[in-house]
Amino acid sequence: MQTFGILILSGLTNGSVYALVGLSLAMTYGASRVINFAQGEFVMLGALSTVLFVTTFSLPMVVGIPMVLIVCATVGFLVERLAYRPLVRRGSQPLTIMIGTLACASIMTGTALLIWGPNQLFVPNAFSLEGVTIAGITSTPQQLAIIATFAFLMALIWFMLYRTTFGLTIRAVGIDPAVATLMGIRAETIIAFSFVFSAIVGGLTGGLVGPLLGGHVSMGIMLTIKGFMAVILGGMGSPFAAAAGGIAIGLLEATVAFYGNSFYAEPIIFGLILMMLIIRPTGLLGEWEANRK
Amino acid sequence: MSSTTLRNWLPATVILMIGAVLPWLLQGNFQLRIAMLTWVFAIFGMGFNLLYGIAGQLSLGQQAFFAIGAYTFALLQIHFALSLPLALLGGIVVCAVVGLVIGLPVLRLRTHYLAMATLMFAMIVHDVALRWTDFTGGTSGLRVPPPSLFGARLERIDLYYLVFGLAAAAYCLQIFIKSTHLGRALEAVKTDETAASSVGIDVTRYKVSIFVVAAMFAAVAGIAYALVSRGVDPSYSGIGMVVNLLTLSVVGGLGSRIGPFIGAAIVIIAPQILAGLQEYQTLIYGVGLLVFMIFLPRGIGGSIERSAEGSFDDPKGEKSARRISRAETP
Repeated sequence: MQTFGILILSGLTNGSVYALVGLSLAMTYGASRVINFAQGEFVMLGALSTVLFVTTFSLPMVVGIPMVLIVCATVGFLVERLAYRPLVRRGSQPLTIMIGTLACASIMTGTALLIWGPNQLFVPNAFSLEGVTIAGITSTPQQLAIIATFAFLMALIWFMLYRTTFGLTIRAVGIDPAVATLMGIRAETIIAFSFVFSAIVGGLTGGLVGPLLGGHVSMGIMLTIKGFMAVILGGMGSPFAAAAGGIAIGLLEATVAFYGNSFYAEPIIFGLILMMLIIRPTGLLGEWEANRK
Repeated sequence: MSSTTLRNWLPATVILMIGAVLPWLLQGNFQLRIAMLTWVFAIFGMGFNLLYGIAGQLSLGQQAFFAIGAYTFALLQIHFALSLPLALLGGIVVCAVVGLVIGLPVLRLRTHYLAMATLMFAMIVHDVALRWTDFTGGTSGLRVPPPSLFGARLERIDLYYLVFGLAAAAYCLQIFIKSTHLGRALEAVKTDETAASSVGIDVTRYKVSIFVVAAMFAAVAGIAYALVSRGVDPSYSGIGMVVNLLTLSVVGGLGSRIGPFIGAAIVIIAPQILAGLQEYQTLIYGVGLLVFMIFLPRGIGGSIERSAEGSFDDPKGEKSARRISRAETP
């Protein structure tokens, strides 16, 4: 029972990270119909700029984290303004735009490499890393903070998308930007917002998960892929389906790592996704989403 | 000579001539190595060009086949003492089989989904290459035995002509595929899958075929790279490799015949010219990729072909006629 609890907890922690990446991928995709390949890089940027502000500049955490979020928001804005928007304006295909975001990921990694170097860095922790035992299961406040942040952001996004007029405009732009524009919605602003918002979510994730994973310039791409696995498993249709996929992958990984070898976790998940694709070729989310370009 | 024939074989002749005389113009092993790497990446780019440029199927996992080909080539020589041609053939066959097995389920996906699924596959191959130390040699990789053909040791210059020969063969194959029923069917698939299947094109079959062909191109490139580097290591399947591939394809020009050659030459030579640039490589490739996509989306090769097309495609002089008539009417 106790091992089961530990498994669930570690699965939830990693799962929350994948879910947060998946959720922000789905957010950007929801508004712009483009997979933002740089999404994982925002987690990297979040983790490493925490190192910059808190360790190098020795700012207190309360000041450091907002600074990190400002940096991520700025970079998110730049990605939209310098890559996404020019490509859309010249009528590029969605896949071309995706390669454009991959170029952004490459630029971010390259710049981070110049600033922070190739070594793994210790990321300062906002919450204690000391073990806390609740009902026989040992955890750390940092770990719990990740899960709590994930739950809070889910609630926030749900409220924003489904209970506010602003959320309605986001969903409208996702369905058809041209028609949304005719209804008086500034589609480009909404899309810019989705990029900046996802960047902030990514930065926050990075600051929180950094102490557990360690900060490394090349950590981003792996997280983008995990986030996308979450999205395929759950569904790109809504951020919540993607989040559910992320949690599922986290739990699956923890289980495989516990009973076998963590090395097999990825091939097994990949195999599962492939199998799912054979049974449901368009993914769990159904035909409507996968057939859209 | 018809315009299509001319358009296909004029660049081929130019490339063939450049390739043949290049060793006399270059000095030292280092420059020869750079030339060989250009041919290697041109082969890699041509495979990707067929898959994405012609058929519109974006795979971000071509580096997996690049690595599988190279590893198979090395392992067959090390463990079974196979000769170079047999090991080369072995590497290609293994990649074709893996391409078929992966392609059948994965090609049910479209657009972003296909790109991500293939990238996932490549990440797993990368993990295996890194961690299955007994088989793949882990981080340090495997050494490829000194190349020899029919009992004779291959010198650097022989190796150059071998690699160049492979690139020339790949170019011919590329032109051949484009001119056959397969090539036309693939262009139809790229434009509209539903419309293509409505005129009797077996979309799945064609997509899988071209995926396997692209895997074989990647295998040949990987093997040639292993021959030139005298070894194979996990960086073959790394994310850097796919960024190189995308950069060279976009800079050269997607769907362009000569694009892969121009792109490969730039991607390989540029970092050498700007000395001490290694640190900035990731950054510069990223910036280059983005700038080309925004400002020159056809790439260098595509732009050259387009401006040359005026003289090829205008047998009746319609364009010049139009220009004259416009000049005459005030």
